[in-house]
Amino acid sequence: METTREIYWNIGHGVVLPMYVLSMAALGVLVWGFWKRLPIYRQGKPLNRFDRYDERVRRMIGEILGQEKVARVRAGGLPHNLFFWGFLILFAGTLLVMAQADFFTPVLGLNLLSGSFYRIFSLVLDLGGALALLMLGALFFRRFVKQPAGLETANEDYVIHQLLFAILLTGFLIEGARMAATELPHNPALAVYSPIGYLFARLFTGFEEASILIAHKGLWWLHLALVLGFICAIPSSKLRHIVTTSLNAFFAPLEPKGALATINLEDESLESFGASSIRDLTWKDIFDADACTGCARCQERCPAHSTDKPLSPMKLIRQVGELAQRSPDAGLIETVGVDAIWSCTTCRACQDICPANNEHVNKILELRRNLTLMEGAFPGEEVRGAVNNVEVNGNPFGLAFAARGEWAEGLPVTLMEEGAEVDILYFVGCYASYDRRNREVARRFLRICAAAGVRVGILGKQEKCCGEPVRKLGNEYLYQMQAAENIELIKGYGVKRIVTTCPHCFNALARDYRDLGLEVPVQHYASYLQELIAAERLRLKPEPFVATYHDSCYLGRYMDLTEAPRSVIAAAGGRIQEMERSGADGFCCGAGGGRILAEEKLGGKISEKRVAMARDTGASLLISNCPFCLTMFEDGIKTGGHEGTLRVRDLAEIVAERLQG
Amino acid sequence: MKLLVCIKQVPDMESRFKPDSRGTWYHEEDLAWRMNEYDEYAVEEAVRLREQLGEGAELTVLSIGPERVGEAIRKALAMGCDRGVHVLDADAAQRDPWQVAAMIAAHAREKGYELIFTGMQSQDRGSAQVGVTVAEELGFACATTLVGFSYADGAVTAQRELEGGTKGVARLGLPALVTCQLGLNVPRYPTLPNIMKAKKKEVQAVAAAELLEEEARAATTSFHAPAKKGGAVVLEGEVAPLVDQLLGILREKTALLR
Repeated sequence: METTREIYWNIGHGVVLPMYVLSMAALGVLVWGFWKRLPIYRQGKPLNRFDRYDERVRRMIGEILGQEKVARVRAGGLPHNLFFWGFLILFAGTLLVMAQADFFTPVLGLNLLSGSFYRIFSLVLDLGGALALLMLGALFFRRFVKQPAGLETANEDYVIHQLLFAILLTGFLIEGARMAATELPHNPALAVYSPIGYLFARLFTGFEEASILIAHKGLWWLHLALVLGFICAIPSSKLRHIVTTSLNAFFAPLEPKGALATINLEDESLESFGASSIRDLTWKDIFDADACTGCARCQERCPAHSTDKPLSPMKLIRQVGELAQRSPDAGLIETVGVDAIWSCTTCRACQDICPANNEHVNKILELRRNLTLMEGAFPGEEVRGAVNNVEVNGNPFGLAFAARGEWAEGLPVTLMEEGAEVDILYFVGCYASYDRRNREVARRFLRICAAAGVRVGILGKQEKCCGEPVRKLGNEYLYQMQAAENIELIKGYGVKRIVTTCPHCFNALARDYRDLGLEVPVQHYASYLQELIAAERLRLKPEPFVATYHDSCYLGRYMDLTEAPRSVIAAAGGRIQEMERSGADGFCCGAGGGRILAEEKLGGKISEKRVAMARDTGASLLISNCPFCLTMFEDGIKTGGHEGTLRVRDLAEIVAERLQG
Repeated sequence: MKLLVCIKQVPDMESRFKPDSRGTWYHEEDLAWRMNEYDEYAVEEAVRLREQLGEGAELTVLSIGPERVGEAIRKALAMGCDRGVHVLDADAAQRDPWQVAAMIAAHAREKGYELIFTGMQSQDRGSAQVGVTVAEELGFACATTLVGFSYADGAVTAQRELEGGTKGVARLGLPALVTCQLGLNVPRYPTLPNIMKAKKKEVQAVAAAELLEEEARAATTSFHAPAKKGGAVVLEGEVAPLVDQLLGILREKTALLR
């Protein structure tokens, strides 16, 4: 007996034409559904996301087939992906059947679906279908029985679940009916390769063959109708994410993480800055709303949202979409709300976890640019003062710029203006220059460099705030003024390498200053120390200790530097008790996005929440390597009532205590 | 209606001050410069009035000093002044309040200003004389230390801050000059389009010699840091007498127990 199956068995080849016509019509509905949405996206400003085509296509295919971003959250992610792969197998199988029936057989006279290949094909499709059915059950349970917080369920969710279930079920019923009339009586050995189909075939045994044939035919048409319905429903329901989320894997930025368009302040034709309506955003910003699957992962991780502040990154994405669809000229800032806009710490947790490649942070920054550059607004009077201080004295404290280098007096360091040869320029930053606690960190860093024989130069009173906090508050003008002075100075000294102890300075100098002409390599000291240790220039005498480590957002998430600081801690003898949220999933200290300059008046304190997470590890030592984090945690430990049980120290302090010789 | 606001550029008060070589003023090395705080209130109030009056009004900002003063003028222009007058005077720091007032009056005379705004005083010299002297020289009505301002029907209603936090209200006919105090308003942060526009606004340069006809009447003879005094008193001994001693000090040297 031949090992194959007759395609269009019991249906007849007469259906080929109507079936293709109907399928084409359904695809037409699908295309038309998206086509009519194009004008909505086009309301946004142009943005080229069609460059580096190969790279984008590769990434898109990889993300679609791999679904790695979805898998980052196991609950929900795993059943989604298994369902997806199961469905994908069925889809691929259907395409293969189509190619066989309407191309290989009639054109080439070749039957691929026979012999061993058919057995494998049959088994794989059966298992794929079973997997999809099983996972649909798991997703059903999660959606309707035990719903996680933040997951919103709409009426269409019921319809879509029923539709998918019906498609899978009718598929197996068709197979069962066919097997009951063919394989079971005539070729039972082959039925083994359709185990699930076999179970369904058993439902039909005992019926007369004529009845089975009628049932089979009816089910076949029902199945086709359901599938066509599914295709038609894609553009107008949340199923659209199959297309839009996939496309966003193509449209996602290829720039370094955290890159923000540098406004050309020389361009006199510019009259408006930032975004006050959706027309000031890009088409991609509007498209993001269609790519959003409503998974709420962003909202769940948002430090502002989880301390009861009025910000939800998911809501923001959707508000943009709703305005674009219904009232494109309405005020975007009024819709989102200024409190929500100022609450963001730009920690990037939302964007990092988003399985749809949505870009939350830059939207908020465009809104802030409008508030700051067009309205002269601030999140509070204390911030107005701090920004004025940056403008006048080059630091947010308003302390004398001439006192910036005083912390280093008597230490082994060269002032660049004195002109001696140095190995690195230490860009100190405002906190390490002026803040008492962080000056200690700067001094320790110099001690470490001295022990490694590294000659360090600083700019002293010539250094200005890097401008990162004011830029994140939307003040591009002040940022560029600060940056231009720093860049001119650094270039003038012919510096070979810059090291910072502040991840914010690091991000500004290493990435943002590139747009303004700085090309010198820039490192954060965590990776610099790791290199010194690896090269055996820096020798430590490790002493065993236990600590937990906090990833600064601007080091971990923005710059992917999660291993370097950990390896330095290990070299110092430390064993890390990881917090639940660490590495790329780290939880912000609350100070990013210029919030270091603002009082936290809404909701709970983010720093206290993070300090509590550190305390929960059982470690009595919290290590960080960012002056903002250190400041926030010193505060959070006091106000959170952890004094005496938890201490926060900078990585440089830990290393400096373990120098050899 | 023509309006004038007079501003001064002063060092940021957090700067490290050192006497200059003559010992009569501060050395200018390592100073960060900004607009005198009280003048910011004056500019803000003048700009608000300018906006209230609309098309018919013109607001001029005037400052006396060396090249660097141009920055303060640009800031006032970015906040909303229409045009600038920069009295170029490299020796501005040596002028006494009488000379400064006389220079401003010499500029303002014949210009047809109906309302002049100044700060209550400068943060560096702090004489609080310039505004009132200009008013006197020009024969303008004058009200000082404004914490509230309104203009309607050709008259100014000025709310003034008096001793001990009490308030007084004065009504002034035009022409008038007012000096502005903390609490009058929150000076706006210039928007970027206005910063850009300010770069193109006219700033008229006037040589100091054209306006300066007066001799100084009060010469600063010395500028120095206060002599260092003992910063703290340590009280020791039994608790009961210590308490009495502390109470005595608090009564005598502070207003806490009055």
